[in-house]
Amino acid sequence: MKKLALASLAGLIAISVIGCSKAPQEPVETTTATETVKETETKKDAVASTGVTIEFLYNLNGESVSDAIQDVCKQFTEETGIGVEAVMPGSNFSDIMKTRMASNQLPDAWTTHGWAVARYAEYLSPLNDFEFASHISPSIKEQITDGEGNLYTLPIDMDLTGMIYNENVLEEAGVNVDDIKTWADFEAACEKIKAAGLTPIQLGGKDSYTMGNMMDFVAPTLITNEDEANQAALLDGSFDWSKWNTVVNQIDSWRQKGYFNTDAVTADFMTGIKALAADKAAFMFTAASGITETYVQNQDTKMGFMPLPAREEGLKQSLMTGEHFAVGMSKTTKHPEEVKQFMEFLAREDISSYLATKCGMPSGLDNVISDTGRLAPYYDKYANDSSILNIPYFDRKYLPSGMWNDLCVTGAAIVSGQADSLTVAVDQMKTSYEEKKAQE
Amino acid sequence: MKIQKKSVINLFYIPAVILFLVFVIYPFIQGIRLSFTNWNGYSQTMKFVGIKNYTRLFQDANVKTALVNTLIYGVMSTVIQNILGLGYALFLNTKFKGRSIVRTIIYMPVMIAPLIMGYIMYFFFQYDGGAVNDILIALHMEPVDLLVHSGTAIRIIVLVNSLQFVGVAMVIYLAGLQNVPTMYYEAAMIDGATFWERFKHITIPLLMPAISSSTILNLIGGLKLFDLVMALTSGGPGFSTHSLSTLVTNQYFSAQSAGYASAIGIFTFLLIMIISNVVMGYFDKKEVDV
Amino acid sequence: MKGSRVSNAWKYVLALIIIAVHFVPIYMVVAIAFKSPYDHSSRWAFPGYLYLKNIYTALERGGMLLALKNTVIISGMSILFIVVIGAMAAYPLARNKSRLNNLVKGFIMGVMMIPPLSILVPLYSFMAKIQGINSYWGMIVTLITFQLPTSIFLFSSFITSIPVALEEAAAIDGCGPFQTFFRIIMPQLKPVTASVIIITGVNCWNNYQFALYLLQSPRIKTITLAIAGFFSADSANVNGAAAAAFIGILPMVAVFLFLQKYFIQGMVDSAIK
Repeated sequence: MKKLALASLAGLIAISVIGCSKAPQEPVETTTATETVKETETKKDAVASTGVTIEFLYNLNGESVSDAIQDVCKQFTEETGIGVEAVMPGSNFSDIMKTRMASNQLPDAWTTHGWAVARYAEYLSPLNDFEFASHISPSIKEQITDGEGNLYTLPIDMDLTGMIYNENVLEEAGVNVDDIKTWADFEAACEKIKAAGLTPIQLGGKDSYTMGNMMDFVAPTLITNEDEANQAALLDGSFDWSKWNTVVNQIDSWRQKGYFNTDAVTADFMTGIKALAADKAAFMFTAASGITETYVQNQDTKMGFMPLPAREEGLKQSLMTGEHFAVGMSKTTKHPEEVKQFMEFLAREDISSYLATKCGMPSGLDNVISDTGRLAPYYDKYANDSSILNIPYFDRKYLPSGMWNDLCVTGAAIVSGQADSLTVAVDQMKTSYEEKKAQE
Repeated sequence: MKIQKKSVINLFYIPAVILFLVFVIYPFIQGIRLSFTNWNGYSQTMKFVGIKNYTRLFQDANVKTALVNTLIYGVMSTVIQNILGLGYALFLNTKFKGRSIVRTIIYMPVMIAPLIMGYIMYFFFQYDGGAVNDILIALHMEPVDLLVHSGTAIRIIVLVNSLQFVGVAMVIYLAGLQNVPTMYYEAAMIDGATFWERFKHITIPLLMPAISSSTILNLIGGLKLFDLVMALTSGGPGFSTHSLSTLVTNQYFSAQSAGYASAIGIFTFLLIMIISNVVMGYFDKKEVDV
Repeated sequence: MKGSRVSNAWKYVLALIIIAVHFVPIYMVVAIAFKSPYDHSSRWAFPGYLYLKNIYTALERGGMLLALKNTVIISGMSILFIVVIGAMAAYPLARNKSRLNNLVKGFIMGVMMIPPLSILVPLYSFMAKIQGINSYWGMIVTLITFQLPTSIFLFSSFITSIPVALEEAAAIDGCGPFQTFFRIIMPQLKPVTASVIIITGVNCWNNYQFALYLLQSPRIKTITLAIAGFFSADSANVNGAAAAAFIGILPMVAVFLFLQKYFIQGMVDSAIK
């Protein structure tokens, strides 16, 4: 007892030395998670359980999206009596999926996150016979269909991705996004931002995918956009990797000019989101869903996204399109009928619209409307602008599966300024590409 | 009669051996088989490539980095844990009030999962709002990005790992010290031996079994280091802080070279086995000498 | 030692420094766990107000209660078998030092050195074949197997230090080897059992690598998975994560405080042959 008193006394003294913080003001929560789905619900009595439960694995983080998915699954169970175990395994999603493919133990349905054709096709059931197959938005259709015309995934929404930026920061630095047409314009903007004492480009290299994103976003503008020779060469394996120097040099020049945040290599993704939300950094190479995350941190900031600049004047700017929330069904499921019902349910207009709205992304089905909220003006501005190229994600289209890792690692090496990182980066890309191509 | 009875008790380890064969050895042999293929880790097809993965392993600069890091993690952690653990044990073996509180607090971090410890320590060392930089800022110094240089990051990983698990070494040495009869010291004091002489000629030789146990346990733990690296640096920047274990995951899942990853895994196992056996052999000889 | 107050002063200073160093991680967990997410004060600052919402978030959103239950079941069952099978296996290895048994001992040490990741995928495939994924028993069997070497190592050192006289007497009285083991040996293993429980128990409680793959269903997840979920890449809720970590560490600390008296004694008799 005496010992305990002694210890707590020492603790109290220590705390009084360090000091205490005061209770902060917390924002009042305005919305409750379930209201929207309840509105669309036509109140039916719950159907008796069928005793069947299907497993659905998804990789969409973020509380509000995850809650929406759980709610939708619950509603499905109420209407059909089929149970759904919806699981979000976190950042290890693709590792877990690989383990399950390896042992042929796949979930009944899962989100295909851009790999419906290249990685998962072997395990997915073609969806051509579904009614929604005729409603797939043309801008994503090619990417989720294989050479023989098999459709592999249901695109509930789709990405339209460029760079996200903080409007307040650009304003403070005197930059107008509409003036940024080429990378030279972009660098001029970065100089202004830097001069204003703010961070031009925010990276979070501890989550190595932020490095991969940057490489993946920059590469097509320098290599493949409006260059059919390079496109063909990358696809048939004859690409001359010395051309990759333009990519690594561009990134290295940004490092030398000090455009990145000081902790670009060691910060994580959330640190970046917080920096943008706090009006401290201008640009980030991430999908538009990043904007939603910044608004969670700070509702009062002003965010937008812009197309990727072109390599030289006269060429088009570009936006990337790809799968975001897309669901495929297993070829080997033990409950094909039930999973089909689930797929049809997800594609139903009210459900699909609700989910796409929660994600803040345009719908991947042409008969479904998604309310993208504060992002709507940007989608309106760019989605149907013919002066902007609509391109697929670079690695998914032009690199063999498994090279994402190389983009992440070489990106981080360049940004950290390691000796020889440029030649090593080009070599690693070349070796890995040749090896993986040989395996295909 | 006697012989028969002795072998009868061998039946007692049958359950353990069966478990090992089924859940460790069988998968391990599968792993060896995979190391001779070009499997990507998820497809149903793979090709036999002979010893290509092993020849590649010996030319791969990233494996070399990971190997050096693994040795640093293993050896440096073992050295720090043993020296500090022995120091703590000697200190706590003297009499003063509240020493059991000190002992408990030193042991407490052992109970935190290394992955969680890594995340906590990231709060400590991160550039933006990290605890270390808060101190530097309070002292009007420039904040530093501690994890960006692989050298510093490796030191930090060793330090965190050592401080977290020093409790294990401490407990082993505390236990060892209970077996050192005080009369030896008393006799030595009468002979006028200094503290250092008593330590060298009485404490160390009598603690040899404890040193051996502690070294082996810490060495195996350090060479298998995984969670902490993942949580603090994820092996980066580039490949510069990977241990062999984290490199195996990276190659297995991210790089989709499961065959190659299996080869690195087998290599890691052989490395740990050889090092541990050399060290164990050394201690066995040492104990016989004493 | 003369034990005068003055000469002891340095010990208290040193003790305080040691406590400060080793208590920092736990302090930080507690400070962050009880701080509002909107409190942007330094990580060092202790919240000057009572704030339990993070604990509530961890329990509700993180499903910590369910995870606690699962972890207790999995760790409890694992520890039981680790102790029983481990003690049984250690007995012949300690008492019958034949060439075969030395080989078996070497084999068990070898198992300790296999990096779990190098067998992960084959193990997963095998577990899937025998329906061991997302089940208590699949995880329990895996944990038992990987913790057994430590258990056998500790038990066999301890048994070596027990005099054989009692067993010989029992043999003369006509006790079979099984009776001898359960009646004579088992009761003497109390202190070392505390060590085995603490050392292997911590590893079972904290296991992440196997749990991540073998326990994918949310109804069976363990606390380390729950905590890691909070910390995972895109999660912004650092405070909820710390609260979850805090809840996860508490039971371990309680068990340790309860067993630590036996623990040190057990280590005295086992780790040191």
